[in-house]
Formats: sequence, C-alpha cells, structure tokens
Amino acid sequence: MTDIPPREPWPQLLPVPRSALLVWLNLAVALTVAAIGLGVGFAQGIKAQLVILYTVISVAVLLWLLNYVTTIFESRSAASAAPSDARGVWRANRVMIIAMVALLIVYLLVTASVPAFRSVTNFIAFLVLEAILLFAFKVSGRFATGRSAFIGIMVLVALVVISSFTIEGFLSGSNVKAILLFAAFLGIACIGQTLVALMGGLDLSIPFVIGSANVGMLFLTTLGVPSFVAFGFVLILGGLIGLLNGVLSYKLQGQALILTLGMGFAVAGLTQILTSIGSSFAGNVFGTVPSWLSNLAAMNGRTFGLAFPPTILIWIVLAVIVIIGLRYSAYGRYVYALGGNRRSARLVGVSEFRYWTLAYVLSGVFAALTGCLLLGWSGGGFIGVGDPYLFTTLAAVVIGGTSLLGGAGGYGFTVIGVLVLQVLTSFLLGIGLRYEWQQFIFGLLILPMVALYGRSPHIRATV
Amino acid sequence: MAERASSSSTYLLVPILLIAVLLGTAVIRGPNLVSLSGFGSAIIVAAPLILATYALMALAVAGRGTVDLAMGPLVAFINVSVVKLNMLGIISGPFGTFLVALGLGVLYQLAFALIVIWVRVQPIIVALSGFLALTGINLVILPRPGGMAPEFMSSWGLGTTIFSPVLLILVIATGGWLLFTLTPFYANLRMMGYDERAAWTSGVRINIVRVGAHVIAGLFAGLAALCYTALIASGDPSQGTNLTLTAVTALVLGGVSLAGGRGGVTGALLGALNLWLIGYVLATFNFGAIQAFVTQMSYGIILVLSLLLTLLVPVLSRHISFISPWSAFVVLGAVVAAIMLHVATADTYLPSEAVPATAQGPLLDRYFLTAPAGGAEPGFVLSPIQRMAFFAALAAVVLTFAARLTQAEAPARRMGLFLYLFVAALVLALFALIAMQGEVTLFSGGTP
Repeated sequence: MTDIPPREPWPQLLPVPRSALLVWLNLAVALTVAAIGLGVGFAQGIKAQLVILYTVISVAVLLWLLNYVTTIFESRSAASAAPSDARGVWRANRVMIIAMVALLIVYLLVTASVPAFRSVTNFIAFLVLEAILLFAFKVSGRFATGRSAFIGIMVLVALVVISSFTIEGFLSGSNVKAILLFAAFLGIACIGQTLVALMGGLDLSIPFVIGSANVGMLFLTTLGVPSFVAFGFVLILGGLIGLLNGVLSYKLQGQALILTLGMGFAVAGLTQILTSIGSSFAGNVFGTVPSWLSNLAAMNGRTFGLAFPPTILIWIVLAVIVIIGLRYSAYGRYVYALGGNRRSARLVGVSEFRYWTLAYVLSGVFAALTGCLLLGWSGGGFIGVGDPYLFTTLAAVVIGGTSLLGGAGGYGFTVIGVLVLQVLTSFLLGIGLRYEWQQFIFGLLILPMVALYGRSPHIRATV
Repeated sequence: MAERASSSSTYLLVPILLIAVLLGTAVIRGPNLVSLSGFGSAIIVAAPLILATYALMALAVAGRGTVDLAMGPLVAFINVSVVKLNMLGIISGPFGTFLVALGLGVLYQLAFALIVIWVRVQPIIVALSGFLALTGINLVILPRPGGMAPEFMSSWGLGTTIFSPVLLILVIATGGWLLFTLTPFYANLRMMGYDERAAWTSGVRINIVRVGAHVIAGLFAGLAALCYTALIASGDPSQGTNLTLTAVTALVLGGVSLAGGRGGVTGALLGALNLWLIGYVLATFNFGAIQAFVTQMSYGIILVLSLLLTLLVPVLSRHISFISPWSAFVVLGAVVAAIMLHVATADTYLPSEAVPATAQGPLLDRYFLTAPAGGAEPGFVLSPIQRMAFFAALAAVVLTFAARLTQAEAPARRMGLFLYLFVAALVLALFALIAMQGEVTLFSGGTP
C-alpha cells in the first residue's frame, strides 16, 4: 500500500520507449501479429483492400498499446527492486504460480478424461487463460489506478479471442449487434447503479422499476395516451421513485440496499395493481408498442439508415456524457468527494443530501428508460422483464471495479464490466450452456475478479 | 431513570406492538387460526421463515453489514439436494437427512466466512456471488419443482397438530440460541458486531468469532431447509429469491440492526411471525386476482416503514424508557390471548351471552376462570354482584401487578426467569386449551 510511486504526468500522445531494443521488440511483435492476421484474412477470402486496411490499423493500434505499456514499465522499473533469489521469487509469486498450476492440472484432467475436449481451440483457450493469469498478476500490479479496468479489458479480449475460435459465427455482424444491444440495455440500467455505488449506496429497486416502466408504458399507450407523453411520464415517474428512494434512504445509508429493495417491491406491486384493475388478465398487459419505440430497440431497428438499433447509439452517447460528466463536472467531482470521505466533503460545503438524492433520481430515470427500451425490444409488457437485472447491474459495477464502499471507480469501468458480462453470456450460450449454468459461472466469476483488486485492508491496518 | 440499560431492548417494543395488533386482527378476521390445525399449520408454514430469519440474524449481529442475500437460495439448495439425494436413494433416514442438510448449510457458511476473512472482500459481494451461483446450481440439480421428500417427513407437513417435530425444531433452535447468549462467545460476537476494531484491539479473536457466527447461521439455514422440505414435501428450486426477501424483511421488522451488534432471537422470531401474520391477514381479505400483488406491495411498504421506524428507536427509547418491552409483551400477549379465547370459545361456551367490550384484565380473567369451569359443573355459584366484585378486584390486582412489573422490569437487560415461565405457561395453557376443545371448534363450532 505504501510503495505506490508518485503519480507521473500524463504520458504523451505518442509514447516511445527510451531503450531502442524495446522499440524494435514492440515493432517485431506488432508486425508478427499483423502478418498472422494478413495470412488468416487472405485464407478466409476477404477482399484484399479490406485485409490491407485491417492490417495497417492493427499494426498501428498494437504498436501504440505496446509502446504505452512499455513506457509505463520503464518509468516504474526503478521503483521495484524485487529480491531475485529463488525463495523471494516464490514468495512474491506464489498465488499466481498456484493458480496457474491449478489451471494446468484442471486442463490436463479434463483433457485426459473427456475425449471430446481434445481440440486445438481448447488448447488455445487454455493458453489464453494462463496468459490472462500471468498478466493479471504481473502487469496489473504496475498500474496504480485503473487496475481493474486493465484486468477487465484483458478478460474481455481473451473472451473474444476464445469465443471467436470456439464458436462459429461469433464475430458475425448480427451476433456482435446482439451483444451490443443487450450490453446497451444493461449499460443504461447500470448508469444509476454506478452513480449510487460511487456514493457508497446501492439501488436494488432497479429491476422492479424496469419491470414497472415496461408494463406501465404499454398500459398508458393502450389507454390512448400519446406515446411520447407516456414515455416522458414514465421517465418522470421513475425519477420520482428514485427521489423517494434517495430521500428515505438518506438517513439509513447503511441499509440503502434493503430499503431500495422494499421500495422496489412496493412499486412493482402497485404497478401491477393499477394496471390490472378492471382487467381480467391480472398481471398481463396487452397492446401494441408504438413503432418508433420498437425501431429504437428491436434487433432490426435502423439508426439514420444504418442497420443497427439506435439504443446502441443512445448508450454510447449516454456513456460518453456520464464519463465526461463524472470526470470534469462539479457534480461528478462532488460525487467522488462524498464517496471518498463524507466528513471532509461536508466540511468543504458539499450538500450530501442533494447529491445522494440526485444519484438515486438518476438511477430511477435510467431504470425507467431501460424498461421502456426493453418494451420496444420485446414488443410486450411483462413485469418480470427486469428480474435478471437485480444482480447483473451490481455484478457489472463490481466486475468493472467500482468500489461498493464509494469513492473509487467510474462509469468507464462499468462499461467494461457490462461488456465482459455480455460477451461471457454470449460465449456461454454459444457453447451450449443453459441459463442456470451461466448464472452459476457468473456467481463464481465475481469473487476472483473482485479479489484481484477490491480487497479491504486488514484490520491491523485500520486501527 | 434507567436510561442506559433500558435502551438495549427498547427496539423490541415496535415488533411487540405490531404483533399484538396483527394477531388480534388475524384472529378476528380468520377465526380458523385458533384451532388445533390452525396453529399447527401456522407453525409449519412459518417455521422456514423463522429459521431463515434466525440465520440472517446471527450473521447480522456479526457486523460488517453482513446480510446474506443468498440465504433463500441456500435454503432452496439444501432442499433440492436433500430431495435429489432421496430420489437417488442415497439418503432416506432422519440421520442422513439431518447430516446432509446441516452439513451443507455449515459448509457453505464456512466458505463464506473464510472468504470474508482471508480474501477480505466485502460480505455483500460474497453474498451476491453466492446468490447467483446457488440460484443457478439449484436449477441444475432440480430443473422444476417436484420430487419427493424423505419418507419420515411425510407426517411433518400435515399441520393437524401443534406438537409436531417442526415445533420441536423451532423450540430447540430458539432455546439453543438463548443458551448461546449466556456464553462469553456471544458477548464477543456482539462486541465484534458493534465495533470490530475495538474488539480486535481488546484481544477478541475476531476471525474465530466470525467463523462461529457463520457456523451457527449455517445450522439455522439447514434447519430452515428441513422445515421447508417438510412443508412442501418436495423440492422447489425457484422460491429462493422470495424467501430471501421475506426473511430480510422479517429481520428488519424484528428490530435487528443490519449494522451489527444489536439483535436477538426474540426480535427475529417476532419479525418473522409478524411477516407471516401480515400474509395471513391479507389473505383473509379477498382481493381476487390481484391478491399476490397486494401482498407484494404490502411487504415492500412494510419493509420500508419498519426501516424508517428504526430511526425512531432512539427517540422512542428516550421517552418511554420506563416501559419494559418484556412486560409490554406479557400484557399485550394477555390481551391477544383473551381475544383468541373469545373467538375460539364464543360458539361453544357462551352461545347466548353477549360479551361486553371490557378492559383487558377482566376479559382475560373471565376466560381463565370459565375455561376450567367449562365442563358445566354447577357447584360453584356466585351471585351477579359477587361475580362483578370478584372480577373487579381481580382485574385491579392484575393491572396493578402488570404496571408494577412493567416499571420494575424496565431496566432489565433480558427477560427475567419469572417472565419466561409466565409466558411459557401462558402459551402452554393456550395450546392445551385449544387441544382440549379443538374438535369442537373444528367440526361443530367452526361450521355453523
């Protein structure tokens, strides 16, 4: 904890390592990878211009990344003078070595016992996993901040590599579009969760608000309310629920989790009561979804004539706004200040109540937005549509690396977490695992991800 | 007066008051409750919730904001495991079933504790992880509700008698915790929950204490799963989330502090009973198709309100510190018992006599007097004036006694032995009374 080197100035736009050897090494790696890509591209029979374009782009990006990483290493290598004898090496790396050996044993066991498992793709997958472990332990330690983001990106890249090897058509246009679309739903729902988590709270009412917005929106349009008015009304209602959440939980910040859960229950129940009065099909709402809404979120939606649903664009725009807003606006800085240290923030004159409540309001609004968008996607109202989001929003935030204690993290991290979850879902679906196995794996995945970067200090260090 | 000491259990006043109101309403709305099968099924239905709440309570007392959201899925996991193992023919006897159920609960909670201690991630993340993993694996073990509970459990879930094995489990669990509170280990546990750093610096081995709390929670979870299996007589992988939500609500309703250090088996028991009673009362109103939604909404609102009420506890305890929650419990319990007895016996003993709406004392005394005399023995005759005077005197004595007790017991940290005995005698008398005339209420009184 104490040996974090002082933060150096932001690296220049075009980083170049000081030693010439490293420059050549980077160049060689980049060119080798590009050559492999070139070969594969021609072997697949893609147009020559496209292959050349991709090759050039990949060389440039890879070179930049490699240089960036090596410059960071160079500037920090002086700080770490690790003991070099065998025992020191073992002591410094035992967790990693144990993990890698365990993975090797598991791989060998499975390979030996299951004949269908013996394939080249699985071997590659195994190597990639080992590489991830190595990177996660050795490289991520060099980053003072954004360690979780680095691990997240590593996992993401590895997942994409493994999936594209293992699954036919994983990188096809429609699959990528589907992944992005679902990531957009989850991502929009996660905006509020991230904001709230940054302040040290949690919002478990999100899934219920999503379901209620989903049903309520369809109900209102079926009543004859103009769809845009209904849309705005639902968003405002979502905000009001968020306001209630924020105001009520302000004095009960330790129990915000439970309080929002209760609110969610109440909201979902109330919505169902309201929408099923006078209807013989209690709990179900039938109606037609306005066409602009289905275009917004359905798989075959079009954005300005381009063949992807606008929801993805909305998510990207929102993500950029939130990331920039958190980084540069007064609101964003105060959120971090409050999450980091309540007392000092209050002494500086930041109104805790205002920001706490505002975070919950935003959470409610974005949950309602997700509910409306999901209505456009599915074409029918269903109160349970938000149920998968009860814990996936939390999981995405946690995997991304935002601390649930507040003050550390950001929406950019959550975006990575969302993508990891979504690509993993797609991968698991692709290899034919059922939903319950996916859930099981998600559950087991969260712990090691968090354990890599989200550990609390030992009590010895807090006294 | 005795402000320091009385604040320790004043939080129980709210659930006590609530349970009196709810029980009164429940009995009036649904008189079937006061019968052999009514109480029997009530115990069977409420037992899993009560035990799951105990488990959550043990964890909540340990502090660090440990609310094991995976409690419901854990209970469901043990349930489907037991059922699956039974279907495969691996376990069938009581011994094996108990071993598997308690063992699974303890193993899971042990893993939870070790992860919290060694990996040092927040408990909420472990709980989240466990929730997802267990919910998934439950569906793998048993894709849809079904299967058979072990053979020996078949009579447990009938609910025709009060003194079923489920009640025994409940009593053992409750008594076990109460005995546990006498040990120094419990004092350490509470201290750790209240202020972990202070506990550590004063030499408490907090790791061992935490492991202990989790093991106890695991035992409770195993028992809850057994009761749940007995209740539904099959396996159901899908009810975990609901159980988590209701158990957490019950926990909060029972005044257990989620921040740690405050809570007890009494609060958890009252909370779980309250929650079950809310469901019961709501079920007596016929909402038709939206019944489930009304229940859901009420649970949510009650959870929020009871959380807000915990804010009022410090204020309340400053103003009403002279009231001992235990004595309040006894007095209100007497009132409710009077209402129950009235409902249960209105048809059989007093078919014509209009019951005057009198104060609590006389009502209680009347039935305690008339019940033994219910065998229609005419030897003991009093004139109306004598009877009035007798009742009035007795009521005065009871009221004085209750008031005196309320004040005297106010500074007590826990219920005195006398009150324990008194409550136990009261409950036993009630059960016995109902058992004695249960058939009457069931077959002739219940069906006019």
